[in-house]
Amino acid sequence: MVVLLSRLPLQECPKLCHRVVDGVCGREPPRMADYSATWSLEEWLELLNSLSSLFRLAVGNNSCDEEVLAGLSDVGSGYGEAVLSVLRARREEIRQALVERTNFISSAVLQDFDWQLKLALSSDKISSLQTPLLSLTLDVRENGALRPVTMELNREELHTLISSLEAANKVVLQLK
Amino acid sequence: MEEVDKILIHALRQVGTEVSDDVQSVKQFTSELIVEAVVRCVRVIDPGLGGGLPASLPPGMSARFRVGMSLAQACQDLGYKGEIGYQTFLYSNEPEIRSLLMFLVEKLPRESAEASDQPAGKSVVLQRAISAAIKAQLALPWLPPNCRLPLLCETQSPGPLHAFHTQSLSLAHNVKCPEKKHFKGMPLTARIFDYQRDILPPVTAQASHHASVAASILEQHMAELSATQEWENEWNSQGLLSRLTPQDYRSRKLTRLQKRIEEQLRSAALLCPESAIGANRSNSDLSELLQSFRGTAPTDHLLTKGTHFTHTQKFTFTQETAAAASPMPSGRQSEGDVQVRQQEELATLQQQLQQLCLDVDQLTTDMKQMNVTTAQVWDELKKRELGNSEMEERMRVKKKTIDLLPDGESNLVKLQALVEGSAKRVVNLASQWEKHRAPLIDEHRRLKELCSNQDRESSRKLSEIKDLHVKIREAAEEAKKKEGLYKQLITELENLPQDVSRSAYTLRILEIVGNIKKQKEDITKILSDTKELQKEINSLTGKLDRTFAVTDELVFKDAKKDESVRKSYKYLAALHENCSQLIQTIEDTGTILREIRDLEEQIETENGNKTVANLERILEDYKAIRQENSALAAKVREG
Repeated sequence: MVVLLSRLPLQECPKLCHRVVDGVCGREPPRMADYSATWSLEEWLELLNSLSSLFRLAVGNNSCDEEVLAGLSDVGSGYGEAVLSVLRARREEIRQALVERTNFISSAVLQDFDWQLKLALSSDKISSLQTPLLSLTLDVRENGALRPVTMELNREELHTLISSLEAANKVVLQLK
Repeated sequence: MEEVDKILIHALRQVGTEVSDDVQSVKQFTSELIVEAVVRCVRVIDPGLGGGLPASLPPGMSARFRVGMSLAQACQDLGYKGEIGYQTFLYSNEPEIRSLLMFLVEKLPRESAEASDQPAGKSVVLQRAISAAIKAQLALPWLPPNCRLPLLCETQSPGPLHAFHTQSLSLAHNVKCPEKKHFKGMPLTARIFDYQRDILPPVTAQASHHASVAASILEQHMAELSATQEWENEWNSQGLLSRLTPQDYRSRKLTRLQKRIEEQLRSAALLCPESAIGANRSNSDLSELLQSFRGTAPTDHLLTKGTHFTHTQKFTFTQETAAAASPMPSGRQSEGDVQVRQQEELATLQQQLQQLCLDVDQLTTDMKQMNVTTAQVWDELKKRELGNSEMEERMRVKKKTIDLLPDGESNLVKLQALVEGSAKRVVNLASQWEKHRAPLIDEHRRLKELCSNQDRESSRKLSEIKDLHVKIREAAEEAKKKEGLYKQLITELENLPQDVSRSAYTLRILEIVGNIKKQKEDITKILSDTKELQKEINSLTGKLDRTFAVTDELVFKDAKKDESVRKSYKYLAALHENCSQLIQTIEDTGTILREIRDLEEQIETENGNKTVANLERILEDYKAIRQENSALAAKVREG
């Protein structure tokens, strides 16, 4: 339902489209609050979905300008032209994002990780411990849901983890 | 004495005694303070010994007496040699207390001094710093968030506890510009630049949370860096060996990967149970799959140009579809006739094909044989030509000898002369050569020797240089180590308590030593003076004795003859006696004066001991004890 786009003044259109592309590329999508005067919530969601799927399809099918314009024929020509220019400028970025998404085809994917290094000075039994500890948080996306996995490793365990990851990387390199 | 008292008070404060600021010298110490100081010192020196001692004086007099006795016993156990008893604590006198406290302070263990002697490693310093920082933080009171000063916010707010998350960022430099398509006179890159200039927010505004900016940037950078490194590794290990340009190598790799994926998909599709229904269907599935795969696959400029793979793929697919399409229209005609005719035609064509294949095979074998024979013929030809040229040579020699045969003898003589001449020339040349050769050989030997000498020299110098290098490195390491030690010691020095000024003490000590030296010199001077005086006195008494003896003799001789002389002899004897008496008296006076001085000193020290006050206190205490005793006796009687 890209027709809804025509409610927006033409000058605002590229900005919104760029924000939608930002959302496709994994950054912050446009906020409803900025446009609540123009569209209702339902219309907004519909517009957002249709625009992002339009961009995805256009880049994914590698379709030419005419095809995209044909898809946008029911909006005004100026709007179609604006969307097209946004698409041309961001084609490469969208393609990268789609490739990233295709890479994540396995059941569980490591999305992000975070670590903190701590120094345990003493414990309840030993007064001077001086052991470094690493608390590692893995954000694993499993069937679309984000699941944090947190573990605390000492030096040896960390070495084991790193060596096993290196072995995995070697296997991946051999596949190439 | 003030200096000593200051040091004593400082040491006692460190041990834990609460000496108030008003107290400046040992003279001002009360009995309670003395007992507390001594008990704390004894506890630090020997915890087992000091454990049973109370830190303050009890109110009861007899209990006080007992405490004083046990304290004195403890001090004696520690090795104190001076006079000590309950009176030392209860009825204090300044010099005794001072000497006791000095003994105890000297006995205090100096663990800190011993510990600082050993050079501590960097980690130890760091750990000490960490523990000090934590101790300081723990000592601060916790404040509710609204009352925190900015200084406290760092340590008390849970700010660093939140997790970092990364987001993909859009940076201007890593968006590749695809081929420069011109669109209505404006290149595509210009549109990207427009976007980057007008709409793309700065990188710090791209992340949704401010905290994740740094993490995102670092992550992006790491990803790019590792990708570049991986590519460089691969290029250096495999790419350079393949002798292709980087682009060719990449496209080849892409082709290989795509083939591999295709194989995988094909095998998976064959394994799939649905493929049993018909190979056609699986084929179409595969092509669809590949088509869709190609749509989402990386279509960067290498791919969009059209790789070898895509070309071949397109080619094979289009052929297949064409082949599938061509039989379709013929299938609409009358089927029976056409089929029979086609089969016949097919049979004849196949026969023709087989015939042709056989012909081609035969022809190729013929050609091979022909080639072999021509090569053999060429070889033979070359051999023959060689034989010919040899024969011609031989023929020429024989012709010459035949020409020379008629005038045989003269020719023989000529030939001999010629041979002799050439032999002579050879000898001549050999001698000349020898002449030239000898100096050259000498020169060669000399140069060789020189060369070897230089070689030796250079190797020697090289080894020296190596030694020097090793030494330099060692020295540098040592210097580094020493520098580290120096820094550590400086930090330790800064951390040391500054309230006791060591330099002042050392200056004072040096002054005292100087004074003592001066006094020693004075003493030796006085001693030598006294010795000299003694000597003079001795010599004078000797002289006196001798003169007296001579005079006595002379006068005695004359005294028998003359009466007046006898009188004078009497006077002489009286004079001598009186004089010796006088000397004796003077000596006695000296000893008495000395005794008087000693006694005065004793009186002074006794006065310093506060004897009267102490006596009064002793009397009071005695009365108190008597009262206590009587009270106890009364209690016993009552009980």
